[in-house]
Amino acid sequence: MPTLLIVLVLAALVGFFVVSIYNNLQKLNVNVHEGFSQIEVQLQRRADLIPNLVETVKGYAAHESATFEKVVQARAQATAAQGVQAVAEADGQLTQALRGLLMVSEAYPDLKASENFRALQEELSSTENKISFARQYYNDNVRRLNQAIVTFPSNLFVGMAKVTKADFYEVTDPGKRDAPNVSF
Amino acid sequence: MGSLTAVVIYAAAVYSGQTSVGIVPIAIGLSIAGVWGSYYGSDKLVLTMTGARIIDHDTAPQLFNLVQELTLAAGLPMPKVAIVEDDAPNAFATGRDPQHAVIAFTTGILKVMDRDQLQGVAAHELAHVANRDTLVSAVAATTAGAIALLSDLVLRITFWTGGNRRDNDNGGNPIAMIAAIVALILAPIAAMLLRAAVSRNREALADATAVAFTRNPAGLRRALEELAADNTVVQQKSNAVAHIWIESPLDSTTTSKLFSTHPPLAERIATLKAMEGMGPTNNE
Repeated sequence: MPTLLIVLVLAALVGFFVVSIYNNLQKLNVNVHEGFSQIEVQLQRRADLIPNLVETVKGYAAHESATFEKVVQARAQATAAQGVQAVAEADGQLTQALRGLLMVSEAYPDLKASENFRALQEELSSTENKISFARQYYNDNVRRLNQAIVTFPSNLFVGMAKVTKADFYEVTDPGKRDAPNVSF
Repeated sequence: MGSLTAVVIYAAAVYSGQTSVGIVPIAIGLSIAGVWGSYYGSDKLVLTMTGARIIDHDTAPQLFNLVQELTLAAGLPMPKVAIVEDDAPNAFATGRDPQHAVIAFTTGILKVMDRDQLQGVAAHELAHVANRDTLVSAVAATTAGAIALLSDLVLRITFWTGGNRRDNDNGGNPIAMIAAIVALILAPIAAMLLRAAVSRNREALADATAVAFTRNPAGLRRALEELAADNTVVQQKSNAVAHIWIESPLDSTTTSKLFSTHPPLAERIATLKAMEGMGPTNNE
């Protein structure tokens, strides 16, 4: 009788152990996906802001068409991109194009003074911050998931939980990652 | 805290015989009802007590955006953001869970701080939300309250009924009696000290969590330096809400360090400076 009890208790403990590891892997996986969708939400927000921004700058600096063209193109690429690496790269390109646009606007005092432009600038720089925080959250979770996948004992349950390693959200040129510089 | 409660219950039992045991559930019940009522409604209660006014994206876009940015770093839902009309720079967070959180800033803090500093402050407040500090301080307050109430009740009851007991000789060991009285008097003080220590601990933790959100210890450090240099204090000097502000609103010269709900600003600044020395913590 006591042996049976011991076996039962041990089985319960092992069961509990397996369930908690399995659940942890699933939780990490969900966090990674949620983190990436947050990045996409913010990238979409930025893409939505751009036509408005371009129109506003055009009103004051119509002849800077090369700069507008670059922004519009980068935006189109960014909205079409799929997968972590492609999205990250397009994001870098668009950030750089936007930086060019804001640099151009520096030369137009009337534009800089316009209420509409300032509001857009605040929204844009806030969205840039949101993208970078969302990226930080995503990468933290990717690190946790990838660690769990390769370390013992959770690595034994990877097949059962059907989780795979995720890609970090990386922008290759660190300079590209700098948000457009906006002063208040 | 739990062991402190046990000591008080034991002391009460020794001191007044069987009769006082019946008070224990009453004292604990009263304390729980009071503190948990205020914990559950903390978002509304504190807003009324401090006169904070909820803002949205249109009324203060910059502040609202700043908090929204940090919720992404923290992976938390967006809290309510409020502004308190007060010239003293300060801020607080409250609410029973992340879904009911409120983060409030005084008009003074919005005036004197730049974006990086405000980000540090907002991250500190959001860290309180993430660490469930309203819950932690409610637990600490409940226990401290129960202990104080219990000691007080026992001392009063034995004061009134003490006369009869001297006649029948079952009072027992006089040394135990004296020890019981001392314990009953000292326990509430010890409970207060513990409660303050818990609060100081959570403040230090919130600073560390804030840096994990922003990856920028300099912002919060400069914000705390700004607070240290400033000597206006928030108008409401109520002890009841002192612990929720980022900087203690009570004058530091009149409150002793042991009873203080916040670690000294100089200590917090030094810790953040040490974090800056560790270099970029961004491990990507």
